[in-house]
Amino acid sequence: MWAMDVTDIGLFRLAEQRLAWVDQRQQVLAQNISNADTPDYQPRDLLPFAQFIKRSAAARATRLAVTEPGHLAGRPPQPDFDIASRPTGRAPDGNAVSLQEQLTKVADTDTTQALVLNLYHTYLGMFRTAIDKG
Amino acid sequence: MDLTKALTISARGMDVQSTRLRVIAENLANEDTTGSTPGADPYRRKTITFDNRMDRALGVETVAVQSIGEDMSAFPLRYDPSHPAANAQGYVKMPNVNSFTEIMDMREAQRSFSANLNVLQVTRSMLTRAIDLLK
Repeated sequence: MWAMDVTDIGLFRLAEQRLAWVDQRQQVLAQNISNADTPDYQPRDLLPFAQFIKRSAAARATRLAVTEPGHLAGRPPQPDFDIASRPTGRAPDGNAVSLQEQLTKVADTDTTQALVLNLYHTYLGMFRTAIDKG
Repeated sequence: MDLTKALTISARGMDVQSTRLRVIAENLANEDTTGSTPGADPYRRKTITFDNRMDRALGVETVAVQSIGEDMSAFPLRYDPSHPAANAQGYVKMPNVNSFTEIMDMREAQRSFSANLNVLQVTRSMLTRAIDLLK
């Protein structure tokens, strides 16, 4: 019996990772904007996606050595992909959030998500065509 | 799911801005509230500060009202001997509320509120789009 798992297919896996990245980024940006008037708050951002997958692949490759049957394998370390973004300016109260910049990033995240979901949908459509009885 | 967390974060952002507007409304409404006995203190301007805190139930950091304090600046004096709150020299202590400051503050609160609302709408459309994938 051969079971197909869509996450084994390159494009689907990539789309899944990208969507996870988009979700996380939207959360970080929402946090920055909600703190637009918090004294001394520094805006944060995620690593660009290309660097993000490179690092998460590296993180997956690093494991604890198991030399005895009793050893626990442990979970691979989850690096913190959050980075402090470089502030463009600072208000007198020490807050460095620029609403325009953050809202541009939100728009960018929105577009990326739409693109990825469309690609996913189209690719899935091809599988459907193949599965359908001609 | 991270998107629902983003929704909550934006909602908290709007929450604190509403509280800030409430404080501004209190200040503006009490712009002329003086004491009623000779030499009594008038209304003292309130201030509000925000803080980014960890919400343990959600596992994310959200914005919260840190404290609602009082502006300790001096009260301006106005010469009005017939006023019930006038002191022996005939001066009345007026509230330390400046309507220009309050109105500027109000504009800023409004702007921050809309930014949060904007993010909420975008997040919502992202969620809807993800759900539409099932169709």
